[in-house]
Amino acid sequence: MDPLQRYREIIPNFDQFQRVQSLPLPPTARINTLKMDEQRLLERLDLEGMSYKTFRWYPLGLKLDVESPGKLLVNLLGYIHIQEELSMVPPLVLGPRPGERVLDLCASPGSKTCQISQMMENKGLVIANEPSLARVTPLRSNCERLGVMNVAITRYDGRNFPNVPFDRILVDAPCSSEGRERKGPGVMARSSCKRSLDLQALQIDLLKNALRLARSGGVVVYSTCTYAPEENELVVESVLDRARLEKISIPGLKDCPGITDWNGVHLDDDLQLSRRYYPHLNNTGGFYVAKLVKN
Amino acid sequence: MSPSSSRIRNIFEPLEPSYVADLWNSQFGIAQSVFMGYLFFRKAQSVWAINDNCLPRISYEAIGMRIMNLKDRPWKPTTSALQVFGRHATKNVIHLDSINAMIFLEGKTLVIESNCEPGYVVVFYRGEVLGCGLYSHGKLVSQIPKERRMASVVENGACEDQ
Repeated sequence: MDPLQRYREIIPNFDQFQRVQSLPLPPTARINTLKMDEQRLLERLDLEGMSYKTFRWYPLGLKLDVESPGKLLVNLLGYIHIQEELSMVPPLVLGPRPGERVLDLCASPGSKTCQISQMMENKGLVIANEPSLARVTPLRSNCERLGVMNVAITRYDGRNFPNVPFDRILVDAPCSSEGRERKGPGVMARSSCKRSLDLQALQIDLLKNALRLARSGGVVVYSTCTYAPEENELVVESVLDRARLEKISIPGLKDCPGITDWNGVHLDDDLQLSRRYYPHLNNTGGFYVAKLVKN
Repeated sequence: MSPSSSRIRNIFEPLEPSYVADLWNSQFGIAQSVFMGYLFFRKAQSVWAINDNCLPRISYEAIGMRIMNLKDRPWKPTTSALQVFGRHATKNVIHLDSINAMIFLEGKTLVIESNCEPGYVVVFYRGEVLGCGLYSHGKLVSQIPKERRMASVVENGACEDQ
């Protein structure tokens, strides 16, 4: 059976969702203001006759009309970074400011790390944690190409990251990645409720450790690129004794509230403050994002 | 601190900013003040730079950007570091026209006349730094890392996110 069928009740316009889920994803990129200001970059794309559109909800996001955006000179020189549209949401929700100390607990390949650094104007400190040595390579390579100068990389198991206080923490957790199906088919073949429950244990431990590390009043953003409530709302619900949810609103980007009923069980009503992003709403991949403030 | 001990223990050891600033000043004529506001570390033969921060005392895999390699004589700047600091260079710079710039970005060698001293140079195109080149006897050898060359980016593919 199609593993997506179990979401029929929670995803609006389910048939349209299924149709869009099987279409390829349009290439998108983020303007890297650490190296190039927005206006100059757009003028340059115009001069080179490149066809693009900026996102309605984020002026630094670009939809590109090219076949291999990675080959573009502006990408090789680090003036833009190829990044899925919704992957730009969690850093915006995290809202880091220059001079703060921020942890990106599951960082590789570093698109969000670099976006966080750019929001901090290269000031303050971002610790990008990635336990896998193989995955540190693309993380480092992206940071260096994009001219990031305020990121230090660590290789701890995120569940045991040492006790250091942070102003903001992003937990972009390992997940079943159902929202990435449009990027390259094959993800759904591995997807199942059982797999989601296996991942849930890790996700809860990561989020609990993040909330231990955040200073009181600090912000922790939890995100995944999957639809499974077991990996989303049910993970966030497990920490609501130590943090409160804050509403997420991004004007111009269509979303759905987090769900509060699943498989006959009623969940915490505050979970509707978290956000679900579906492919057929904005022609993107899929994401779940929750913003928590530590008590 | 002795440079040899970090080579043996493979840990990040703090470096005096003036040590780094003097090397870049003598090779590229970059004012020492450009390097203020950064912390520098040496690990094995590499030098790393990060914006001046209070770094928690934990174990690091990387601290900021790898900016130079001290293994060979002369020391070699990274292309990433030249893209940050190289625009302040006042000597040992080469400006390319558009055809040569593309050849350079493909990682190839150019035949070119220049007054530069033999050694590593900052390569510019349209006022922007492309990266590091090795100049000697009328030849400019591109030092652009493989994954950032014009032709090879697709095969590498490691830089894209979900």
